[in-house]
Amino acid sequence: MIEVDQLVKRFGAVTAVDGLSFTVRPGHVTGFLGPNGAGKTTTMRVILGLDAPTSGTALVNHRSYQDLIRPLHQVGALLDATALHPGRTAEAHLTSIAQSNGLGRRRVAEMLQLTGLEAVAGRRVKGFSLGMKQRLGIAVALLGDPPVLMFDEPVNGLDTEGIAWIRQFLRALAADGRTVLVSSHLMSEMAQTADRLIVIGRGRLIADTTTAQLIESSTRKDVLVRSPRAAELAELMTARGATVNREDDGGLAVTGLDAPAVGDLAAEHGIAVHALIPRTASLEDAYLDLTGESTDFRAAAAAAPSPEGAPAR
Amino acid sequence: MTATDARPAPESPVAPAVAAAVPLAVRARDVLTSERTKLLSLRSTYWTLLVAVATPIGLSSLVAVTLANAPGRGAQRVDPLLPGLISLEYAVLAVGVLGVLTFSAEFSTGLIRTTFIAVPCRRAVLAAKSAVLGAVTLVAGEVVAFASFGLVQAVLSGKHLGVSLSQPGVAGAVLADGLLLFVVAIMGLGLGAIVRHTAGGIAALVGLIILPGILALLPPPWGARVGRFTLVDAARQVTALHPATNLFAPAWSLLILLAWPAAVLLAAAVAVTHRDA
Repeated sequence: MIEVDQLVKRFGAVTAVDGLSFTVRPGHVTGFLGPNGAGKTTTMRVILGLDAPTSGTALVNHRSYQDLIRPLHQVGALLDATALHPGRTAEAHLTSIAQSNGLGRRRVAEMLQLTGLEAVAGRRVKGFSLGMKQRLGIAVALLGDPPVLMFDEPVNGLDTEGIAWIRQFLRALAADGRTVLVSSHLMSEMAQTADRLIVIGRGRLIADTTTAQLIESSTRKDVLVRSPRAAELAELMTARGATVNREDDGGLAVTGLDAPAVGDLAAEHGIAVHALIPRTASLEDAYLDLTGESTDFRAAAAAAPSPEGAPAR
Repeated sequence: MTATDARPAPESPVAPAVAAAVPLAVRARDVLTSERTKLLSLRSTYWTLLVAVATPIGLSSLVAVTLANAPGRGAQRVDPLLPGLISLEYAVLAVGVLGVLTFSAEFSTGLIRTTFIAVPCRRAVLAAKSAVLGAVTLVAGEVVAFASFGLVQAVLSGKHLGVSLSQPGVAGAVLADGLLLFVVAIMGLGLGAIVRHTAGGIAALVGLIILPGILALLPPPWGARVGRFTLVDAARQVTALHPATNLFAPAWSLLILLAWPAAVLLAAAVAVTHRDA
């Protein structure tokens, strides 16, 4: 279990995390979503004791990370798969980390096998592809067989096969009863992997809900109607209890009546209909709606030079 | 491909508290073992040590030959331990860079975050890295010092200029030669942790060794009074057969020589614990 409470992290004048509170529970893959620069990585770094919080707390299994003894037995993390010494072999890399937490070579061999890296274990990581480094990073995270796992943008830069592998892996870990927190800036990716979602923007919590609920609550369903006698049709539809919004291009966005009902109504009154399109918003749209404010801010910030991006990463 | 293969699923979401029972000594040994694996799993370590060991041994015998064949009585006035000391410069530079890299390579690749996630007590990481590098460079240093000494005296004795280890002060001076590698390697390591960049760390190390030498240019007697605190003068005092009389006695100079890396390590301990990684 991960508990973040009123967490604030400032880098000089920039506030990367701004009063964030959430709890990540075991047994689910929890997606940690937000646009680039929203504070996801910073939050994870604070949870892992790498950055000191300006205020607030972040606890793993009810303890501050600094107080964990042999922490790899409690938390596994993959922040940046490319953070490796190029001259060290995969096996030496894993071994050195395993030893620091009292784990032996047998565990290292198991992890190499689990991640399919046995064949390249003796090769220096200099020549590894991103996918192989990602697997090595996962091997490191799983070394201590921890009940809590954190992955920062694990699918970034991976090919389809690699993405499928990781997705399946994360689900297996959660099904095992582990707490799994996965960050991403892609809603579409998380929709397929995560059961729960924590959405943040500008360092603040936007939503903390299940994936299904988020889709349900923010999915827009309406019917787009175009007609040469739009005004007349709008009146008739409103009389039947529909809500009609006129769009900029003259189309009518109708909610409260479905497409067949609109078509029948128009036919009844002999009104020609040029378009009758049922619309459903995707999860991606829901996400953009949620984070719209923070994205707007970022666009504005990009116009005026600001140090926002760099430290917030 | 499931994680379940590795072990039965944890019954409780909270990890068992077994880890809390691990004694401090065991955890210290774990971190030491880990850092030893890191240092010894890089080819660059072996190359650096090879340079550090082979160059001064070869060079010192060359200097000894030149010295032994110097015309006139000039050679007789020269400290017979000097060829060994002069040749150490290259070794000192090599292990200094190795020291800087011990931390700077982890910072520049981002590996340091994995290290600190595995061992949240950063001072333990600093201590373990220092202990491992210190042990390796101390052994390498003494090997170089005694091998060079043997070769140099073999050359010099042909001209009846040599000394033997049993003569007063000789063994101590040769031991001190070897200690120089340890001192500079640990300073490099500390500076690597403070500066976090390889080039910057090396520059800082060279600066700390050479720049205080300017103090020796102060008008007498201040040049010597202040200069005796510098690394170079302290090193000269402990490695000389006939220490200078206007500087600290060798025992005090040895303390000063060790105080430098100790001070750098203290600063590094503060830096690594108080900065975000």
